[in-house]
Amino acid sequence: MPERLVIRGRAVVKGRAEGQALVADAALSFWGEVDPVSGKVIGKGHPLEGESLAGRVLVIRSTRGSSATPMVLNLAKLEGVAPAAFINVEVDSLAALGAIVNGIPLMAELEQNPFEAIHTGDHVIVDADAGLVEIIPRDRPTARRRP
Amino acid sequence: MKLTAEQRAVLEGARGPYLAGCMRWLAEWGEVMGARRLIRCDNTHVLLPVPNLVARGASARTLETFTEGLKEACRHPVAPHCLATVHTLFVTLDELDVPENDPAQVRVQREIAEMAARAGYLPTFTCAPYLVGNVPLKGEICAWTESSAVVYANSILAARTTRHGNEGAIAASLLGAVPEFGVLLDENRKGTLRIQVTAGLRGPSDWGALGYFAGSAAGLGIPVFEGLRRPSQEEAKQLCAALATTGGVSMCHIVGVTPEAPTLEAAFQGAVPKQRIVFTDETLRQTYRSLSNATGDEIDTVILGCPHASLAEIARVARWLEGRRVAGGVRLWINAARATRAAAEAMGAAQVIQAAGGRILCDTCPTNMRIPCRRLVTDGFKQAHYARGMTGAEVIVASTHACLRAAITGRWQGDA
Repeated sequence: MPERLVIRGRAVVKGRAEGQALVADAALSFWGEVDPVSGKVIGKGHPLEGESLAGRVLVIRSTRGSSATPMVLNLAKLEGVAPAAFINVEVDSLAALGAIVNGIPLMAELEQNPFEAIHTGDHVIVDADAGLVEIIPRDRPTARRRP
Repeated sequence: MKLTAEQRAVLEGARGPYLAGCMRWLAEWGEVMGARRLIRCDNTHVLLPVPNLVARGASARTLETFTEGLKEACRHPVAPHCLATVHTLFVTLDELDVPENDPAQVRVQREIAEMAARAGYLPTFTCAPYLVGNVPLKGEICAWTESSAVVYANSILAARTTRHGNEGAIAASLLGAVPEFGVLLDENRKGTLRIQVTAGLRGPSDWGALGYFAGSAAGLGIPVFEGLRRPSQEEAKQLCAALATTGGVSMCHIVGVTPEAPTLEAAFQGAVPKQRIVFTDETLRQTYRSLSNATGDEIDTVILGCPHASLAEIARVARWLEGRRVAGGVRLWINAARATRAAAEAMGAAQVIQAAGGRILCDTCPTNMRIPCRRLVTDGFKQAHYARGMTGAEVIVASTHACLRAAITGRWQGDA
C-alpha cells in the first residue's frame, strides 16, 4: 500500500471535501473552457481537455480568464458537476469568490509543490477548516506521466 | 476585516435577507483576499444573462434556479450614487434568424432587462462599457465583471477594479461598497514582469497577439511593456482582452501610456528587474500560429468586434465593404453594443454593412451563443481562443483586413 501523505497549507475558503485528484500545472477559465452541464474541460489544447471536473479535487496553478468563472461554477454546482475542492498555487479573486458563493473549499500555498505531491487519480481529502490536505496515492506505475 | 457598525447591521439583516447575503459575500471575499475594510464604490458593471445557451442541456430546475437568482438581484435598487452598467447577454434581444436564439429565452431575458432597468442598471449589454458611457476616471473605485474591461479600466484609464465575479459586482451595486484588496491599493499596482517589445505591431490583432503571449507569462501578475508606441483605442482593447484570456491579469503597464507608468521605474514603483522577456517579430508570428488550427481554407464565419466594436471600427469596416459583397454561405458578424449600432445607423455605416451581407450583432457574441460553425476567422485573440472550445470551430486569427477579405471570398488566403 502506498503511504498517506499530509501537507499543511493556507485555508482560503473553509470547508471539508474529498475526491479523486485532477492535476495540471496550468491555469483554467471556467467560462469558455469548462462546460457547466457536462462538467468537462472544453478548452482546446488545454492540458485537461476532455477531463471531467465533477467531484474532483482540482489541483491547478490558478483560475484565469473570464469573470464569469463564479457563474459557471454556480451552474455546474446546480447541475451536480462542480469540483469538490480546489487546490491552487496562487489565488485569483474569481476562484475565491466562486468558492465562497458555491461552498467549495479552496486551499493554496501548500508546504510542498502540489504538482509533485499530488497525482491525478490520487484520493485527496481537503480539510480547509484545519488547513490540511491528505493524499492517499493510488498505485503508481513506474513510468507514469502526469497530464 | 473590520466592518463599520452600519455595515454590520446590514450583515445582520437590518436591510433584509438579500442585502445581508450581499454583505456576507463582500465581507467573506474581502477576508480571504486580505482586505481590511470595505470602501465606497460608485461604478459597477454586472452580469444578468439568462444562461440557457452557455449551459446548453442544463436541467429546467438549474435554469429556473439560476434565473430566479438574477430576478431576485433585480428586485433591489442600485445604490443612488452608483453608475451601474450591464455586461453582455447570452442571447441577442433582436429577432435573429439563428435557431439558437430561442424566443422563449429572449422573452425571459427581456423581462430581466426590464426589471434591471427599473432597479437602476443601464442596459448597455456590452463587454466594453468604456465605449458606451461608462468611462471611470483615474483612481475611481469600480466593481467590474468582464475580464478584458477590468484590464482596460486599470491600465488605460487608471481606474481601479479587481477582477469581479457577478456576486461581487451585484453586491457592490446595491451596497455601494467593495472590499479593498488587490489593485485597489497602490502597492499592488506595481509591475511583476518586464516585457520588451521589439516586434513591429501593425494593428489591433498584433496587439492581441502581444497580450495573448504576455498573459501566459504573467499569470496573475502585472506585465510591464516597454518599447511600445501609444496604441489606438482598438489596439488597447485587443491587448487587454488577450491578457485576460491566457492570464488572470488585472492590469498591465504600458510605459509612457498607462497614466501611472510615465517611466519604467514608475511602473515597477522603484527597482526595475534586469530580467526581461523579449517579444520579437518571430514571437509575434509564432503567437498567431499557436492559436490558428485550420486544416483547410474554406471558411463559413467571420467575427469582428471582440471585445465589442467601437464606432470607428464599424465605420472602417463599412468603408471597406462599400461596393463589395459577403460570399454566399458566409456569416459576417460584427459584435457591438446597441448604442454603438444606433450611432452607426445614424451615420449610415450599419446600412452599408447590411447591404453587403454583414450584420451588427448586439447584446451578445457568438461564443456566448455557442453558435455552431465549421471554420471561423476573427481579428480577436480572445474570440479565437474561446471559440475553439465553445463553438467547436477551427479558427484563424488575423488582421481585420484579412478577415474582411476572407468574408467576401469565402476563403482564407493568408494575411499579407
